Amino acid sequence: MPASSLESALLGVVRARADSAAAWMAGVRPTDMDAFCGAYTAAARKAGRELLALTEAERIALGSSAPEARFDRWTVADAARAALLLRAADALDAADFQALAIGCFERGDAGEQASWMRAVALLPSPERFLPIVIDSCRTNVVPLFEAIACENPYPAKYFPERNFNQMVLKALFNSIAIRRIVGLAERMNPELARMASDYAAERRAAGRSVPPDIALAAPDEGRTEGAAR
Amino acid sequence: MKIFDPHVHMTSRTTDDYEAMAAAGIVAIVEPAFWLGQPRTTVGSFIDYFNSLVGWERFRASQFGIRHFCTMGLNPKESNNPKLADEVLQLLPRYLDKDGVVAVGEIGFDDQTDAELAAFTRQLELAREFDLPVLIHTPHRDKKRGTIRSIEAVRAAKFPEERVLIDHNNEETLPIVLESRCWAGHTIYPHTKMDERRMTVLVQKYGSDRIIINSAADWGISDPLKVPKTIDVMRAAGIADSIIQRIVWDNPVAFFAQSGKLDVADLDARPAIDRSQQFETNSVLRGERS
Repeated sequence: MPASSLESALLGVVRARADSAAAWMAGVRPTDMDAFCGAYTAAARKAGRELLALTEAERIALGSSAPEARFDRWTVADAARAALLLRAADALDAADFQALAIGCFERGDAGEQASWMRAVALLPSPERFLPIVIDSCRTNVVPLFEAIACENPYPAKYFPERNFNQMVLKALFNSIAIRRIVGLAERMNPELARMASDYAAERRAAGRSVPPDIALAAPDEGRTEGAAR
Repeated sequence: MKIFDPHVHMTSRTTDDYEAMAAAGIVAIVEPAFWLGQPRTTVGSFIDYFNSLVGWERFRASQFGIRHFCTMGLNPKESNNPKLADEVLQLLPRYLDKDGVVAVGEIGFDDQTDAELAAFTRQLELAREFDLPVLIHTPHRDKKRGTIRSIEAVRAAKFPEERVLIDHNNEETLPIVLESRCWAGHTIYPHTKMDERRMTVLVQKYGSDRIIINSAADWGISDPLKVPKTIDVMRAAGIADSIIQRIVWDNPVAFFAQSGKLDVADLDARPAIDRSQQFETNSVLRGERS
């Protein structure tokens, strides 16, 4: 996907909501790691933390450069941070960009890391970041986990089966609606069905409710009365 | 009734908790080394944490009349960070011989990855080398499979099962653990894992052999008084005090005494509380003088 067209579409979205932030972003230099990571942090303050609430025209513009992405839960800060990273990817060679992007992630607080996870599928060669994304699924910070697991094409596209299955189970365990997991139907596999139906059995044995949407991962659950409990 | 809480993360708790625990009859605790809620990035964070478990926290407990023991280990989650895992595994022998370290733990599975299995197996070897029992954490996700795999890992390592405590059991995993010769721990939590009423039903069904309960109180929604609260529910259900005493005292004491570092006679006497004592010039007193 051509990063530059996506970058300009995101920048347009930011400009329409925070004109001064877009102007400020133009002055951020990707060659200076400390300054760039500082700007990645400051983007929330500069651009704002409101949801994007895209117009139809914006949705079409973003969709043409990133057809798989879901922007529904993105904030203006998420868009600004993604645009910063995409511009850095254009300006730097692959190794320097990778170091810079990882720097932004490692130095980030939970909000910055969530922004990073929402954008990672849109960066060039996203598969190189797989270890970071998988490791971040181990977080206890639910919004960060949701940034990876929900409305994000990355896991379905790049996760090995075992990691994908663990992520789905963790979503169930945290009462996160698993219909929010992009590509769940395409990535369904017998082991996931077993794990999810074992989870339903474990919940029943404990006298607890079974997640109402568990049949999305455990097809057999749709055929038992337990799914309705 | 004297109470031993064999799994509680006091580092995350307050002095109010210590006071309430002592008042409720908790005499001794084991604090397993575990995850801090977010990943550590350098081995130095482990060094400081391990030092606090055998240092400041033990002292803090003593100031409330509670005997503090701990387990040392690399937890399953952080076993997945290859660089850090190697460094921590190399660090552990420095701590396993220390006084009050009564087991290797919490070890086991989280995501059930190869890296977790490797760290788990390596730590079983360390436990054998240092003649310590082990405390095994069972995973939140895919728990039954994780429990079975944990027992398989113990057997593959030819580690003696009677020196293994498998924790966080539920209705489905308890019978699996009881079929082995391992001990079965149960974490009584406000919302997840196990509750007082369900635990009572399990004791009515399976008895008290090798059965242990704990609060596993930490930085999440949890309650350091869950062991005494479970005693109340068991009593109300008509379970005899002799059975309850086995679960909340005799069993955990017998299990951790296998370390050779738990003096049973010594446990009978509460540590004398002298709050003018200091640990490296720090007192739990804040400016006041007793």
